[in-house]
Amino acid sequence: MTPILTAASAAHCLRLPVVAGLSVRDLLDATALRVRAACGGSGACGACLVRQIGGSANPFTLAEYQKLTPEQREAGVRLACQVRPQGDLEVALDDPAPPSPWRSVAAADLVPLTGALPELHSHIYGVAVDLGTTHIRVALWNRKQGQRIATRVGPNPQGVFGADLLNRLAAAHATPQRAAELAKLARSAIVQAVRDILARDLGEVRPMLAQIGELLVVGNSAMLALLTGEGLAALLDPDSWAEAVAYQPSDPEGWRSRWSMPHAKILLPASLFGFVGADLLANLLATGLTQGPPGSLLLDVGTNTEIALWDGRRLWVTSVPGGPAFEAVGIRHGMPAEAGAIYRVRAGGGQGGLQLETIGEQPARGFCGSGLIDAVALLLERGVLKRSGRFAQPPGPEGYRLDPENPRSALTGGDVDALQRAKAATAAAMAELLQRAGLQWGELRRLCLCGAFGHTLTIAHAQALGLLPPIARQRIELRADSSLTGCEMALLSGEGLQRLAQAGERLEAINLATCPGHEERFIDHLLLRAIR
Amino acid sequence: MIAEILKAYNEAVFETDKEAAFEVVEAALAAGLRAEEVVFKVVIPAVEEMMSSITKDPDANLAQHFMTAQIAAEVTERMLQRFAHPPAILGRVVIGTAAGDLHSLGKRIVMGCLKALMVEVVDLGVNVPAERFVEAALEHDAQVIAVSAMMVHTATSEQGARAVRRILDERGLSNRIKLVVGGAPYRFDNELYKIVGGDGWAADGITAGRIIIHLIRDVKSEQNGQNEQNKQHEEREHDPA
Repeated sequence: MTPILTAASAAHCLRLPVVAGLSVRDLLDATALRVRAACGGSGACGACLVRQIGGSANPFTLAEYQKLTPEQREAGVRLACQVRPQGDLEVALDDPAPPSPWRSVAAADLVPLTGALPELHSHIYGVAVDLGTTHIRVALWNRKQGQRIATRVGPNPQGVFGADLLNRLAAAHATPQRAAELAKLARSAIVQAVRDILARDLGEVRPMLAQIGELLVVGNSAMLALLTGEGLAALLDPDSWAEAVAYQPSDPEGWRSRWSMPHAKILLPASLFGFVGADLLANLLATGLTQGPPGSLLLDVGTNTEIALWDGRRLWVTSVPGGPAFEAVGIRHGMPAEAGAIYRVRAGGGQGGLQLETIGEQPARGFCGSGLIDAVALLLERGVLKRSGRFAQPPGPEGYRLDPENPRSALTGGDVDALQRAKAATAAAMAELLQRAGLQWGELRRLCLCGAFGHTLTIAHAQALGLLPPIARQRIELRADSSLTGCEMALLSGEGLQRLAQAGERLEAINLATCPGHEERFIDHLLLRAIR
Repeated sequence: MIAEILKAYNEAVFETDKEAAFEVVEAALAAGLRAEEVVFKVVIPAVEEMMSSITKDPDANLAQHFMTAQIAAEVTERMLQRFAHPPAILGRVVIGTAAGDLHSLGKRIVMGCLKALMVEVVDLGVNVPAERFVEAALEHDAQVIAVSAMMVHTATSEQGARAVRRILDERGLSNRIKLVVGGAPYRFDNELYKIVGGDGWAADGITAGRIIIHLIRDVKSEQNGQNEQNKQHEEREHDPA
């Protein structure tokens, strides 16, 4: 059994699996319950007070002897950055950090990188930004030393204008004021994330903002268009999708001054084709897809799903508006992968023969993407759901409760429908690329699954539903945050835009809407069954 | 016998099991049913049943909707090839999605229903310019143009249904060719079809089929009336009295 860290404040009580080597602060930084902090976890600021109320941890460190009074130590007070669980540990947060939309990217999702730019002498900090439709991810780097200072992930505030890309584009295209409003939301979110890192991990904000020399943003074309207000009309008109759009800040001086980053070079890569843009390039860079064997497939699952297939000579690429179902948006009890989200469902145990695993071991508040896949797959396996997507016994408007006691564990016919359409769109798009490359499903040597599902997806369940092809498990790699990783790699190369552009060489973009037979293929993939 | 076949076929459609639906149909033919009977007594009632149950369902499942329409269209197409006489086609429709819109699946449901209802469909595909709709309608002698749009901006755009309306009016074709619209924005605002100049709209495939057939009859009776008038006119002119 993995040891558990239990952390409680007046508002929250979380139970988190302990990760070897991580401090209590590191573990909590990736959740909504953060300790106060103003240094990088060296014990220098003394702000991250927690109270140990049970379990076992390392002895007091030198920093704790310096920062804590004997009375505090007597009462079990500790510095969260210094204390590491040794087995189960229970702590209380009497004065946690104020609520914030930002948290650290989970350690498991980060890849150690080796790049550095030792020749840099000034403005050595750099920011990598993955501007996603649903989430924004940011990493701050000391580029000279090749050191990742910290990362943040938070919601894209443009979501209030619709989960769907096209709704946001249409809103921005309708009036210049709305376009400016959407652009401002994304720009402030980026700088807020950076400021959150500086405040909590370096302890100084404004002077450090002035030390940032470069800020590189990757995102799909729609995100970069909404960030800059450029190329909106082109994305709404399919006839102009073949033209690459070079996104540029409309007013770079204005951005720098509002961000208080006077020395930041702002780099935005051009689009590739329609909605396919720099986020795919970053994924390609992170996975090294075109350095791998022919039959390497990259699937970046999200609100806008992007797919690339390397056949040894060409890189076939397409995007599908699969809908946000994989991010559990538009699902009755769907929610982001936050405390209380059902992220995994297992057979056996529990009432109704299903065991629900939630983030932070909280009472279930809803499903995130991976939990939804598990739930539908298990209900299908048990005959509660038919492969048409229909419930064998109509569960009524409230839906079918996986936990009979918990109404928020219910799955409705509409939820199943949304998932069916999203997975069919994805599978049909993969099938189209395979056909272009003259390959069969069984010839896929490597499948890199990036994006929404993180590391918690049950591959066998995704295969049983026909979302992922029926290939051996060891050929499938879960790459949760690879577009941020690719962006970081480009940032550390010192020539970010060129590195990204190279990753997309020999690319052939496919517009599925003009592919004969694509609709039939989509409909054939709607049944809940394994791809064949 | 028909009742049993209908039951088995309905079951296959309900399970959206295309292979099973084809098996039922082939067995029915082998048992002596004519292709015409399969279409009129099995396929069409099944589509109507399915569509009406889906329309009443609060958690309407679009995936099942797509699969059902697909089965209806494929079975009908296969049966049409076996009709003893060429099928009596009620009329012809050109269909496509509006300029700027690539969402083709709503259109597909309507096409499936129209085919099963013996309306000939000319599919212009997606992102169709307004002029192309009108040209194709004239070229194929269609009575109805159907423009699908799944997004508010393509439904209300000056390049979409509105442009088709303008061209029809400018060229004096409004009595000869009717314009129908469909797609999500029209479901949210039931008056929107008038604003964009549509002669009708429908929320689902079967209703669309009925409305389109109604409009086809209107156009045809108007044309017959015209012909009738012309004939009378000619007769008068030639009347020596």
